[in-house]
Amino acid sequence: MAMRETNPSFMNGVPELLILRLLEQEEMYGYEIVQAIRSRTDAVIAVGEGVVYPVLHGLESSGALRSRRKTVSGRSRIYYSVTAAGRRRLADLSATWSNLTSAIQKVLTGAQYGEAI
Amino acid sequence: MAKQFDELRERLLRAGVAPRHVRRYLGELGDHLTDLKAEERKAGRSRAEAEAAAMGRLGGVDELSQAMIGRREFQSWSVRAPWAAFGVAPLLVLAAAWYVALFILWSGWNVFLPESSTPFVRLQGVAILFFGIGRSIFFGAPILVGWGVGLMAARQRLKAVWPVVSLVLIALIGGTGQVHVSRTPVAGGLGYIGMNFNVGPGSLRGVPAGVVHALVILLITAAPYFVWRLMRARHVLA
Repeated sequence: MAMRETNPSFMNGVPELLILRLLEQEEMYGYEIVQAIRSRTDAVIAVGEGVVYPVLHGLESSGALRSRRKTVSGRSRIYYSVTAAGRRRLADLSATWSNLTSAIQKVLTGAQYGEAI
Repeated sequence: MAKQFDELRERLLRAGVAPRHVRRYLGELGDHLTDLKAEERKAGRSRAEAEAAAMGRLGGVDELSQAMIGRREFQSWSVRAPWAAFGVAPLLVLAAAWYVALFILWSGWNVFLPESSTPFVRLQGVAILFFGIGRSIFFGAPILVGWGVGLMAARQRLKAVWPVVSLVLIALIGGTGQVHVSRTPVAGGLGYIGMNFNVGPGSLRGVPAGVVHALVILLITAAPYFVWRLMRARHVLA
């Protein structure tokens, strides 16, 4: 298989957040999820596309997602959707992520430094 | 791609990922790859280019395997707790099967032979079939459980240590388990059936019957597993 450059930070809790957010809106299968992540992040988040499946399976085994096999246009695929537990998890992850980005933004813009002076 | 998936499958199984998770993962990767190839072809690439681009986008074997291996929830019980999978579980299954066999013996004794002091007598009619089922379960259970152990070990690509320990244990218990019966002093009362484990009174050329029985069970249960290992080793070498 060809080697490709990926973004390691993608694996640090972000995929769960993105996947839960996307699936909150509609059920999707793996390929659709990856394409949606790519298009909505303007391909900033790069990852070996197959890596999405362990994340999906992990979320499913923890009860955040449910899956069902559905045949569309003659092809059988596994579609994923968010459960009530998944919505709670999404809320928690979103809050954590918002706090984190806001804190980082403060450091980057120097707001904290300015306030301290 | 099939070859790359073979490599991925072997790597995941050897790392302890449960076969059902591996099967599902590879199935979804296969579907994803088909979609990627179609997308690349639609973009105007040749078949070979589309295939190469699709493989690159899917991820390398290292990346795909690490994403799965790093998650403990996908680990097989035979890797997480081999003592339970190859020690406790087979013995529990064997005990359950023997319980059913002894229940059949006990109920058949009370239904078909209420006056007999033992169920081990010449039988007639439906009783032959009824007791035959119990006898088949009793003698067949160690062999079926042993084959199950071999199958589990083969599917997970495990090293031979735990399966061999399990097969020897099953053979010893299966070979030395003996049924004994007694009737309560009350005429026509319920019979008592129990089990004990010893090498038995009889012998074959000086070797106790229980040991011979255990060796036969070990041979029958271990043979398919070791034949599979041999064929697999040859396949890998080839």
